[in-house]
Amino acid sequence: MSQTKSLNVDYNYTVVRLFALTTVLWGIVGMSVGVLLAAQLYWPALNFDTAWLTYSRLRPLHTNAVIFAFGTSALFATSYYVVQRTCQVRLYAEKLAMFTFIGWQVVIIAAAITLPQGISQSKEYAELEWPIDVLIAIVWISYAVVFFGTMIKRTTSHIYVANWFYGGFIITVAALHIVNSMVIPVSLTKSYSIYGGAVDAMVQWWYGHNAVGFLLTAGFLGMMYYFVPKQAGRPVYSYRLSVVHFWALIALYIWAGSHHLHYTALPDWTQSVGMVMSVILFVPSWGGMINGIMTLSGAWHKLKTDPILRFLIVSLSFYGMSTFEGPMMAIKSVNALSHYTDWTVGHVHSGALGWVAMVSIGALYHMIPILFGQGRMYSLKLVNTHFWLHTTGVVLYIVAMWISGIMQGMMWRAVNTDGTLTYSFVQSLEASYPFYLMRFIGGCFVVTGMLVMAYNVIKTVRAKEGVLEPVAEAA
Amino acid sequence: MDFATIHSFYTVIIFAAFIGLLIWLFVIKRKPDFDQAANAIFADEQKPKQKQQQESDHE
Repeated sequence: MSQTKSLNVDYNYTVVRLFALTTVLWGIVGMSVGVLLAAQLYWPALNFDTAWLTYSRLRPLHTNAVIFAFGTSALFATSYYVVQRTCQVRLYAEKLAMFTFIGWQVVIIAAAITLPQGISQSKEYAELEWPIDVLIAIVWISYAVVFFGTMIKRTTSHIYVANWFYGGFIITVAALHIVNSMVIPVSLTKSYSIYGGAVDAMVQWWYGHNAVGFLLTAGFLGMMYYFVPKQAGRPVYSYRLSVVHFWALIALYIWAGSHHLHYTALPDWTQSVGMVMSVILFVPSWGGMINGIMTLSGAWHKLKTDPILRFLIVSLSFYGMSTFEGPMMAIKSVNALSHYTDWTVGHVHSGALGWVAMVSIGALYHMIPILFGQGRMYSLKLVNTHFWLHTTGVVLYIVAMWISGIMQGMMWRAVNTDGTLTYSFVQSLEASYPFYLMRFIGGCFVVTGMLVMAYNVIKTVRAKEGVLEPVAEAA
Repeated sequence: MDFATIHSFYTVIIFAAFIGLLIWLFVIKRKPDFDQAANAIFADEQKPKQKQQQESDHE
């Protein structure tokens, strides 16, 4: 490792390695809990009448594990990696960087202990109680210090676009987290929001949707703008477009949250603003997607031979698909059909498993050999296997949820000529039943793929340094 | 000033800033500037190669 580094800047890969490996671990844990929940929806007896194994307790554990343990660890790893390599400078405040790793793992473990016990603020994706929220805030501000500190002491004159996306994500998530976590604590495990009624709901979905917009989108777009061109071996399609993409995305996303509250007590005009902004968001989203995919223009043949590139490019197709679906679902009349149904669940997973997980997995497969002084992953065949397992799983999952969701929406709104409801809730549940099995099977595919990844990663990490030689470039 | 006025100004400022950004990108800055920026991610790969070449030249 040190021999290759001596020719260049001596990067700090220790923290990057730790975060990269925990990403794989938490991915397996979070997704396995998801599969258990999918199984519980099909075989309800699987909660074994145990309070902490019930769906209601494990659901927040699943969402927190995949978003904050898996996804955010991937963001920590890649942002520390990308900022060092594009600024050509070693990480700033390395001890603080190590603190962000340890602090973040403590947050994850605290979440895994408190959530199954039912200790929760009951705000979606912000369930963790106030002492953990305080720790998150401290870790996050340290993260900002390390990231921006590294950027400030850079040796390059230009700040590469990926760092803008990462930077935007770090600042916004800090603001979102701190504002939405404002509570009055009454004990160590109980607190009450300082906001009331519809305002509380609006603050929550301002947070919730921007967690999607900045954590799950802007952060991962930073990843995309570095790893897609790097893996493809050619610069991004249009750098100008990437700058427009950044500013348009961050200026618009912040307004879209109220689409989560259509037909609620929120003022009508606020709902309409959310709807309009969500529809406009389609433009920068697709601009970015096209920019990523077109990076491959003239080199499409690489997709045939490079499974890592396939992960990255297919993630962009899922990104395009879910950023078309999202604005559509934010339109009030469509939302009247889709809201509270499985369609929403399918939409989230096409974004989370299709876009976020696939771009992270692709980035990890690119990064891990470099971090551990190898020329390539232990087995590219297994990367390919993982790709197909994951893709099959995601497609099964989202197709099942589309059918089930639209069917639910149609059944719930069906009325007889005398105005009574045509179907009872249980009838719609029975109709969804086969699709819950299909989702469970899809989830099993995804987790199996992650286990294949873990095996491949362990083999790569444990291989003797430099043993795995890079694949020869096809001319 | 009430909220509505502040927000009206804010909207106009954001809009102007965005137009300004487009002018900066497409009129003031030239494509070669951005080509260089886009290739920045490959800079750390070329360095060791160049060094190796220089070393072999000496020998």
